[in-house]
Amino acid sequence: MEYQDYYKILGLERDATPDQIKQAYRKLARKYHPDVSKETDAEKRFKEIGEAYAVLKDPEKKSAYDQMGNNWSGGQGFNPPPNWDSGYEFRGNGWGDHANPDHSEFFESIFGRRAQQANQQSAQLNIPGEDHHAKIEIDLVDSYLGAQRSIGLKMPTLDDQGHLRMQERTLEVKIPKGIRSGQHLRLAGQGSPGFGNGKAGDLYLEIVIKPNPYFKVDGKDVTVELNLAPWEAALGATVDLPIPTGKVELNIPANTMAGKKLRLKGKGIPSQEPGDLYATIRLVTPPVTTDADKESYQAMAKSFAAFNPRANV
Amino acid sequence: MNTNRSVLLEGVVVEEHLHLSVTEICQACSITHTHIEEWVAEGVLQPEGSNQSDWRFTGHSLRRAKIASRLVRDLEVNTPGVALALDLLEEIETLRKQLNQP
Repeated sequence: MEYQDYYKILGLERDATPDQIKQAYRKLARKYHPDVSKETDAEKRFKEIGEAYAVLKDPEKKSAYDQMGNNWSGGQGFNPPPNWDSGYEFRGNGWGDHANPDHSEFFESIFGRRAQQANQQSAQLNIPGEDHHAKIEIDLVDSYLGAQRSIGLKMPTLDDQGHLRMQERTLEVKIPKGIRSGQHLRLAGQGSPGFGNGKAGDLYLEIVIKPNPYFKVDGKDVTVELNLAPWEAALGATVDLPIPTGKVELNIPANTMAGKKLRLKGKGIPSQEPGDLYATIRLVTPPVTTDADKESYQAMAKSFAAFNPRANV
Repeated sequence: MNTNRSVLLEGVVVEEHLHLSVTEICQACSITHTHIEEWVAEGVLQPEGSNQSDWRFTGHSLRRAKIASRLVRDLEVNTPGVALALDLLEEIETLRKQLNQP
Protein backbone atom coordinates (compact mmCIF):
# COMPACT_ATOMS: atom_id res chain seq x y z
CA MET A 1 0.00 0.00 0.00
CA GLU A 2 1.27 3.45 -0.89
CA TYR A 3 1.13 6.54 1.30
CA GLN A 4 -1.01 9.33 -0.22
CA ASP A 5 0.27 12.86 0.31
CA TYR A 6 -3.06 14.69 0.35
CA TYR A 7 -1.45 18.12 0.83
CA LYS A 8 0.83 17.65 -2.16
CA ILE A 9 -2.07 16.41 -4.31
CA LEU A 10 -3.88 19.70 -3.65
CA GLY A 11 -0.63 21.69 -4.04
CA LEU A 12 -0.72 22.87 -0.40
CA GLU A 13 1.67 23.29 2.51
CA ARG A 14 0.86 21.26 5.61
CA ASP A 15 -0.22 24.38 7.53
CA ALA A 16 -2.91 25.30 4.98
CA THR A 17 -6.07 26.89 6.41
CA PRO A 18 -9.56 25.43 5.76
CA ASP A 19 -10.19 28.27 3.30
CA GLN A 20 -7.00 27.53 1.40
CA ILE A 21 -7.90 23.83 1.28
CA LYS A 22 -11.34 24.60 -0.11
CA GLN A 23 -9.98 27.05 -2.65
CA ALA A 24 -7.29 24.65 -3.87
CA TYR A 25 -9.83 21.84 -4.19
CA ARG A 26 -12.34 23.98 -6.12
CA LYS A 27 -9.71 25.21 -8.55
CA LEU A 28 -8.37 21.72 -9.28
CA ALA A 29 -11.85 20.18 -9.33
CA ARG A 30 -12.96 22.59 -12.05
CA LYS A 31 -9.82 21.83 -14.04
CA TYR A 32 -10.08 18.06 -13.80
CA HIS A 33 -13.82 17.39 -13.46
CA PRO A 34 -14.46 14.57 -15.97
CA ASP A 35 -17.64 16.23 -17.25
CA VAL A 36 -15.87 19.43 -18.24
CA SER A 37 -12.18 18.57 -18.60
CA LYS A 38 -10.30 17.55 -21.71
CA GLU A 39 -7.12 16.66 -19.80
CA THR A 40 -6.18 13.09 -20.70
CA ASP A 41 -5.81 11.86 -17.12
CA ALA A 42 -8.75 13.94 -15.83
CA GLU A 43 -10.66 11.08 -14.25
CA LYS A 44 -7.70 9.69 -12.32
CA ARG A 45 -6.59 13.12 -11.14
CA PHE A 46 -10.13 14.05 -10.15
CA LYS A 47 -10.43 10.95 -7.96
CA GLU A 48 -7.15 11.78 -6.19
CA ILE A 49 -8.25 15.37 -5.64
CA GLY A 50 -11.67 14.25 -4.35
CA GLU A 51 -10.11 11.77 -1.94
CA ALA A 52 -7.61 14.37 -0.66
CA TYR A 53 -10.42 16.87 -0.09
CA ALA A 54 -12.66 14.30 1.61
CA VAL A 55 -9.93 13.89 4.24
CA LEU A 56 -8.63 17.45 4.58
CA LYS A 57 -12.04 19.17 4.75
CA ASP A 58 -13.16 16.95 7.63
CA PRO A 59 -11.56 18.10 10.94
CA GLU A 60 -11.65 14.58 12.44
CA LYS A 61 -10.15 12.86 9.42
CA LYS A 62 -7.65 15.67 8.92
CA SER A 63 -6.28 15.50 12.46
CA ALA A 64 -6.08 11.70 12.28
CA TYR A 65 -4.19 12.01 9.00
CA ASP A 66 -1.92 14.76 10.34
CA GLN A 67 -1.16 12.64 13.39
CA MET A 68 0.61 10.11 11.18
CA GLY A 69 3.31 12.72 10.75
CA ASN A 70 5.16 14.54 8.04
CA ASN A 71 7.84 11.98 7.41
CA TRP A 72 6.02 10.13 4.69
CA SER A 73 6.16 11.02 1.04
CA GLY A 74 3.62 10.22 -1.67
CA GLY A 75 3.98 6.76 -3.20
CA GLN A 76 6.09 5.46 -0.31
CA GLY A 77 5.22 2.00 1.05
CA PHE A 78 2.91 2.44 4.01
CA ASN A 79 1.53 0.46 6.95
CA PRO A 80 -0.52 2.26 9.58
CA PRO A 81 1.24 2.24 12.95
CA PRO A 82 -0.53 0.03 15.53
CA ASN A 83 -3.38 1.80 17.36
CA TRP A 84 -2.64 4.97 15.45
CA ASP A 85 -6.33 5.83 15.37
CA SER A 86 -7.20 5.21 19.00
CA GLY A 87 -9.24 8.04 20.36
CA TYR A 88 -10.75 8.94 16.99
CA GLU A 89 -14.37 8.17 16.43
CA PHE A 90 -15.24 8.63 12.78
CA ARG A 91 -18.84 9.55 12.36
CA GLY A 92 -18.81 8.62 8.73
CA ASN A 93 -21.84 9.46 6.67
CA GLY A 94 -22.22 5.82 5.84
CA TRP A 95 -22.43 3.92 2.64
CA GLY A 96 -22.10 6.77 0.15
CA ASP A 97 -18.88 8.18 1.51
CA HIS A 98 -17.03 5.07 2.50
CA ALA A 99 -18.04 2.45 -0.01
CA ASN A 100 -16.55 4.48 -2.81
CA PRO A 101 -14.78 2.16 -5.25
CA ASP A 102 -12.71 5.14 -6.38
CA HIS A 103 -10.91 5.53 -3.07
CA SER A 104 -7.35 4.30 -2.72
CA GLU A 105 -6.36 1.32 -0.62
CA PHE A 106 -4.63 3.83 1.65
CA PHE A 107 -7.91 5.68 2.29
CA GLU A 108 -9.86 2.48 2.91
CA SER A 109 -7.26 1.19 5.37
CA ILE A 110 -7.48 4.34 7.46
CA PHE A 111 -11.05 5.53 7.17
CA GLY A 112 -12.88 2.45 5.95
CA ARG A 113 -13.02 0.24 9.01
CA ARG A 114 -15.32 2.19 11.27
CA ALA A 115 -17.76 2.72 8.47
CA GLN A 116 -18.09 -1.02 8.01
CA GLN A 117 -19.20 -1.41 11.58
CA ALA A 118 -21.74 1.36 11.17
CA ASN A 119 -23.16 -0.34 8.12
CA GLN A 120 -23.91 -3.60 9.89
CA GLN A 121 -26.89 -2.01 11.58
CA SER A 122 -28.50 -0.83 8.40
CA ALA A 123 -28.68 -4.43 7.18
CA GLN A 124 -31.79 -4.76 9.36
CA LEU A 125 -33.68 -2.18 7.33
CA ASN A 126 -35.33 -2.65 3.98
CA ILE A 127 -33.66 -0.18 1.66
CA PRO A 128 -33.48 -0.48 -2.11
CA GLY A 129 -29.96 -0.80 -3.54
CA GLU A 130 -28.27 2.04 -5.38
CA ASP A 131 -28.33 2.35 -9.14
CA HIS A 132 -24.93 2.14 -10.78
CA HIS A 133 -23.53 3.74 -13.89
CA ALA A 134 -20.81 2.76 -16.30
CA LYS A 135 -19.71 3.79 -19.76
CA ILE A 136 -19.15 1.27 -22.47
CA GLU A 137 -17.27 1.89 -25.72
CA ILE A 138 -18.40 0.12 -28.85
CA ASP A 139 -17.35 0.24 -32.48
CA LEU A 140 -19.61 1.74 -35.12
CA VAL A 141 -20.01 -1.70 -36.68
CA ASP A 142 -21.46 -2.98 -33.36
CA SER A 143 -24.19 -0.39 -33.70
CA TYR A 144 -24.93 -1.66 -37.23
CA LEU A 145 -24.97 -5.36 -36.40
CA GLY A 146 -25.46 -5.65 -32.65
CA ALA A 147 -22.80 -7.28 -30.48
CA GLN A 148 -21.93 -8.91 -27.20
CA ARG A 149 -19.53 -7.31 -24.72
CA SER A 150 -17.90 -8.41 -21.49
CA ILE A 151 -17.67 -5.63 -18.97
CA GLY A 152 -15.77 -5.74 -15.69
CA LEU A 153 -17.30 -3.81 -12.80
CA LYS A 154 -16.14 -3.28 -9.26
CA MET A 155 -18.77 -2.67 -6.69
CA PRO A 156 -18.99 -2.62 -2.92
CA THR A 157 -21.12 -5.41 -1.44
CA LEU A 158 -21.80 -6.64 2.09
CA ASP A 159 -20.88 -10.24 2.82
CA ASP A 160 -22.76 -12.58 5.20
CA GLN A 161 -20.98 -11.10 8.21
CA GLY A 162 -21.93 -7.59 7.16
CA HIS A 163 -18.39 -6.72 6.08
CA LEU A 164 -17.83 -4.44 3.17
CA ARG A 165 -15.99 -6.01 0.27
CA MET A 166 -15.12 -4.89 -3.20
CA GLN A 167 -16.52 -7.43 -5.55
CA GLU A 168 -15.42 -7.69 -9.13
CA ARG A 169 -18.07 -8.86 -11.52
CA THR A 170 -17.94 -9.64 -15.19
CA LEU A 171 -21.18 -9.13 -17.06
CA GLU A 172 -21.92 -10.39 -20.53
CA VAL A 173 -24.10 -7.75 -22.12
CA LYS A 174 -25.98 -7.81 -25.37
CA ILE A 175 -25.48 -4.62 -27.35
CA PRO A 176 -28.68 -4.19 -29.35
CA LYS A 177 -28.46 -3.38 -33.04
CA GLY A 178 -29.18 0.29 -33.74
CA ILE A 179 -27.96 1.69 -30.42
CA ARG A 180 -26.40 5.13 -30.73
CA SER A 181 -23.78 7.18 -28.94
CA GLY A 182 -25.13 8.80 -25.78
CA GLN A 183 -27.96 6.32 -25.35
CA HIS A 184 -28.34 4.28 -22.17
CA LEU A 185 -28.95 0.59 -21.62
CA ARG A 186 -30.75 -0.20 -18.37
CA LEU A 187 -30.03 -3.60 -16.85
CA ALA A 188 -32.68 -4.22 -14.22
CA GLY A 189 -31.45 -5.48 -10.86
CA GLN A 190 -27.72 -5.29 -11.74
CA GLY A 191 -26.91 -2.35 -9.43
CA SER A 192 -26.19 -2.64 -5.72
CA PRO A 193 -28.10 -5.30 -3.83
CA GLY A 194 -30.82 -3.93 -1.54
CA PHE A 195 -30.65 -4.09 2.25
CA GLY A 196 -33.08 -6.43 3.96
CA ASN A 197 -35.98 -6.95 1.58
CA GLY A 198 -35.11 -3.87 -0.48
CA LYS A 199 -35.03 -4.31 -4.23
CA ALA A 200 -31.65 -4.36 -5.99
CA GLY A 201 -30.69 -1.21 -7.91
CA ASP A 202 -30.34 -1.05 -11.69
CA LEU A 203 -27.22 -0.68 -13.80
CA TYR A 204 -27.19 2.03 -16.46
CA LEU A 205 -24.66 1.67 -19.26
CA GLU A 206 -23.97 4.77 -21.32
CA ILE A 207 -22.99 3.90 -24.87
CA VAL A 208 -20.07 5.65 -26.52
CA ILE A 209 -19.24 4.92 -30.15
CA LYS A 210 -15.47 5.02 -30.55
CA PRO A 211 -14.26 7.73 -32.91
CA ASN A 212 -13.46 6.31 -36.30
CA PRO A 213 -10.95 7.82 -38.76
CA TYR A 214 -13.25 7.25 -41.76
CA PHE A 215 -16.80 7.63 -40.55
CA LYS A 216 -18.38 10.62 -38.84
CA VAL A 217 -21.51 9.83 -36.88
CA ASP A 218 -24.26 12.32 -36.14
CA GLY A 219 -27.24 10.68 -34.45
CA LYS A 220 -28.42 8.00 -36.87
CA ASP A 221 -26.63 9.49 -39.90
CA VAL A 222 -23.14 8.51 -40.96
CA THR A 223 -20.82 10.42 -43.30
CA VAL A 224 -17.81 9.07 -45.17
CA GLU A 225 -15.43 10.83 -47.54
CA LEU A 226 -15.14 9.36 -51.01
CA ASN A 227 -12.05 10.13 -53.09
CA LEU A 228 -12.51 10.30 -56.85
CA ALA A 229 -10.15 10.92 -59.76
CA PRO A 230 -11.20 13.98 -61.82
CA TRP A 231 -12.27 11.81 -64.77
CA GLU A 232 -14.43 9.56 -62.53
CA ALA A 233 -16.23 12.62 -61.24
CA ALA A 234 -16.53 14.23 -64.67
CA LEU A 235 -17.53 11.22 -66.71
CA GLY A 236 -19.37 9.17 -64.14
CA ALA A 237 -18.20 5.81 -62.76
CA THR A 238 -19.07 2.88 -60.55
CA VAL A 239 -16.79 2.72 -57.49
CA ASP A 240 -16.51 0.80 -54.23
CA LEU A 241 -17.71 2.84 -51.26
CA PRO A 242 -16.53 1.72 -47.80
CA ILE A 243 -19.41 1.41 -45.31
CA PRO A 244 -19.10 0.34 -41.64
CA THR A 245 -20.08 -3.25 -42.47
CA GLY A 246 -17.92 -3.65 -45.60
CA LYS A 247 -18.43 -1.96 -48.93
CA VAL A 248 -21.09 -1.26 -51.52
CA GLU A 249 -20.97 -0.34 -55.21
CA LEU A 250 -21.90 3.24 -55.84
CA ASN A 251 -22.82 4.84 -59.15
CA ILE A 252 -21.26 8.27 -59.56
CA PRO A 253 -23.29 10.37 -61.99
CA ALA A 254 -21.42 12.39 -64.64
CA ASN A 255 -20.44 15.93 -63.61
CA THR A 256 -20.29 15.20 -59.88
CA MET A 257 -18.56 18.16 -58.21
CA ALA A 258 -16.11 18.10 -55.30
CA GLY A 259 -17.87 18.67 -51.97
CA LYS A 260 -21.15 17.21 -53.20
CA LYS A 261 -22.87 14.81 -50.80
CA LEU A 262 -24.41 11.65 -52.23
CA ARG A 263 -27.09 10.18 -49.97
CA LEU A 264 -27.57 6.44 -49.54
CA LYS A 265 -30.99 6.33 -47.97
CA GLY A 266 -31.39 3.96 -45.04
CA LYS A 267 -27.70 2.94 -44.97
CA GLY A 268 -27.02 4.81 -41.73
CA ILE A 269 -27.48 3.30 -38.28
CA PRO A 270 -30.34 0.75 -38.35
CA SER A 271 -33.61 1.59 -36.64
CA GLN A 272 -37.33 1.49 -37.42
CA GLU A 273 -36.55 4.57 -39.43
CA PRO A 274 -32.89 3.95 -40.23
CA GLY A 275 -30.40 6.78 -40.66
CA ASP A 276 -28.78 7.70 -43.97
CA LEU A 277 -25.22 7.31 -45.15
CA TYR A 278 -23.66 10.30 -46.89
CA ALA A 279 -20.63 10.11 -49.18
CA THR A 280 -18.85 13.46 -49.42
CA ILE A 281 -16.97 13.73 -52.70
CA ARG A 282 -13.30 14.73 -52.69
CA LEU A 283 -11.27 15.04 -55.85
CA VAL A 284 -7.76 13.69 -55.88
CA THR A 285 -5.54 14.79 -58.74
CA PRO A 286 -2.65 12.61 -59.92
CA PRO A 287 0.84 14.17 -59.83
CA VAL A 288 2.74 14.65 -63.08
CA THR A 289 5.67 12.25 -63.33
CA THR A 290 6.18 11.64 -67.05
CA ASP A 291 6.05 13.66 -70.28
CA ALA A 292 2.81 11.88 -71.19
CA ASP A 293 1.25 13.05 -67.89
CA LYS A 294 2.34 16.58 -68.68
CA GLU A 295 0.79 16.41 -72.15
CA SER A 296 -2.51 15.21 -70.69
CA TYR A 297 -2.73 18.20 -68.37
CA GLN A 298 -1.67 20.54 -71.19
CA ALA A 299 -4.40 19.11 -73.41
CA MET A 300 -6.91 19.70 -70.60
CA ALA A 301 -5.74 23.24 -70.10
CA LYS A 302 -6.19 23.94 -73.82
CA SER A 303 -9.61 22.33 -73.92
CA PHE A 304 -10.83 24.22 -70.79
CA ALA A 305 -9.19 27.55 -71.68
CA ALA A 306 -12.36 29.45 -70.69
CA PHE A 307 -12.63 27.75 -67.26
CA ASN A 308 -11.70 29.99 -64.32
CA PRO A 309 -11.59 28.10 -60.99
CA ARG A 310 -11.46 31.47 -59.16
CA ALA A 311 -14.39 33.05 -60.95
CA ASN A 312 -16.21 33.65 -57.66
CA VAL A 313 -13.31 35.36 -55.87
CA MET B 1 -12.06 -10.14 -4.36
CA ASN B 2 -14.56 -12.54 -5.77
CA THR B 3 -15.22 -12.99 -9.42
CA ASN B 4 -18.56 -14.00 -10.77
CA ARG B 5 -19.38 -14.83 -14.34
CA SER B 6 -22.95 -14.49 -15.39
CA VAL B 7 -25.23 -15.20 -18.30
CA LEU B 8 -25.86 -12.93 -21.26
CA LEU B 9 -27.84 -9.92 -20.09
CA GLU B 10 -30.24 -8.02 -22.27
CA GLY B 11 -30.86 -4.43 -21.32
CA VAL B 12 -33.53 -1.98 -22.34
CA VAL B 13 -32.56 1.08 -24.39
CA VAL B 14 -33.79 3.94 -22.21
CA GLU B 15 -34.09 6.40 -25.11
CA GLU B 16 -36.19 4.05 -27.25
CA HIS B 17 -38.38 2.16 -24.82
CA LEU B 18 -38.52 3.92 -21.47
CA HIS B 19 -39.75 7.08 -19.88
CA LEU B 20 -38.48 7.53 -16.35
CA SER B 21 -40.63 8.71 -13.46
CA VAL B 22 -39.39 11.28 -10.92
CA THR B 23 -38.59 8.48 -8.49
CA GLU B 24 -36.64 6.51 -11.09
CA ILE B 25 -34.54 9.48 -12.15
CA CYS B 26 -33.83 10.40 -8.50
CA GLN B 27 -32.75 6.83 -7.81
CA ALA B 28 -30.61 6.71 -10.97
CA CYS B 29 -28.74 9.91 -10.08
CA SER B 30 -28.76 9.54 -6.26
CA ILE B 31 -30.48 12.90 -5.81
CA THR B 32 -33.60 14.23 -4.10
CA HIS B 33 -37.00 15.19 -5.52
CA THR B 34 -36.20 18.79 -4.55
CA HIS B 35 -33.27 18.85 -6.98
CA ILE B 36 -35.47 17.59 -9.81
CA GLU B 37 -38.15 20.19 -9.01
CA GLU B 38 -35.56 22.96 -9.09
CA TRP B 39 -34.06 21.76 -12.33
CA VAL B 40 -37.44 21.48 -14.02
CA ALA B 41 -38.35 24.98 -12.82
CA GLU B 42 -35.05 26.29 -14.25
CA GLY B 43 -35.58 24.46 -17.55
CA VAL B 44 -32.58 22.16 -17.06
CA LEU B 45 -34.91 19.19 -17.52
CA GLN B 46 -38.05 19.19 -19.61
CA PRO B 47 -40.29 16.27 -18.70
CA GLU B 48 -43.49 15.33 -20.44
CA GLY B 49 -46.64 15.56 -18.31
CA SER B 50 -48.23 18.52 -16.60
CA ASN B 51 -47.83 17.79 -12.91
CA GLN B 52 -45.12 16.14 -10.90
CA SER B 53 -46.88 12.84 -10.39
CA ASP B 54 -47.03 12.17 -14.12
CA TRP B 55 -43.72 13.72 -15.16
CA ARG B 56 -41.89 11.44 -17.57
CA PHE B 57 -38.21 11.92 -18.40
CA THR B 58 -36.34 10.82 -21.53
CA GLY B 59 -32.85 9.34 -21.76
CA HIS B 60 -31.58 12.78 -22.75
CA SER B 61 -32.89 14.11 -19.43
CA LEU B 62 -31.20 11.22 -17.63
CA ARG B 63 -27.87 12.23 -19.16
CA ARG B 64 -28.37 15.88 -18.21
CA ALA B 65 -29.53 15.00 -14.68
CA LYS B 66 -26.46 12.78 -14.18
CA ILE B 67 -24.06 15.55 -15.17
CA ALA B 68 -26.07 18.08 -13.13
CA SER B 69 -25.91 15.89 -10.03
CA ARG B 70 -22.13 15.52 -10.38
CA LEU B 71 -21.64 19.28 -10.85
CA VAL B 72 -23.69 19.94 -7.72
CA ARG B 73 -21.93 17.27 -5.67
CA ASP B 74 -18.34 17.90 -6.79
CA LEU B 75 -18.29 21.63 -7.50
CA GLU B 76 -21.32 22.88 -5.54
CA VAL B 77 -22.62 24.66 -8.63
CA ASN B 78 -26.02 26.30 -8.03
CA THR B 79 -29.08 25.70 -10.23
CA PRO B 80 -28.64 28.61 -12.70
CA GLY B 81 -24.95 27.61 -12.95
CA VAL B 82 -25.92 24.01 -13.71
CA ALA B 83 -28.29 25.21 -16.44
CA LEU B 84 -25.59 27.37 -18.01
CA ALA B 85 -22.90 24.67 -17.77
CA LEU B 86 -25.14 22.02 -19.36
CA ASP B 87 -26.08 24.26 -22.29
CA LEU B 88 -22.44 25.16 -22.90
CA LEU B 89 -21.34 21.51 -22.60
CA GLU B 90 -23.91 20.48 -25.21
CA GLU B 91 -22.76 23.25 -27.51
CA ILE B 92 -19.13 22.15 -27.14
CA GLU B 93 -20.16 18.56 -27.87
CA THR B 94 -21.95 19.63 -31.06
CA LEU B 95 -18.95 21.67 -32.21
CA ARG B 96 -16.53 18.82 -31.44
CA LYS B 97 -18.73 16.45 -33.42
CA GLN B 98 -18.49 18.77 -36.40
CA LEU B 99 -14.72 18.66 -36.07
CA ASN B 100 -14.95 14.88 -35.64
CA GLN B 101 -12.98 15.05 -32.43
CA PRO B 102 -13.98 12.91 -29.51
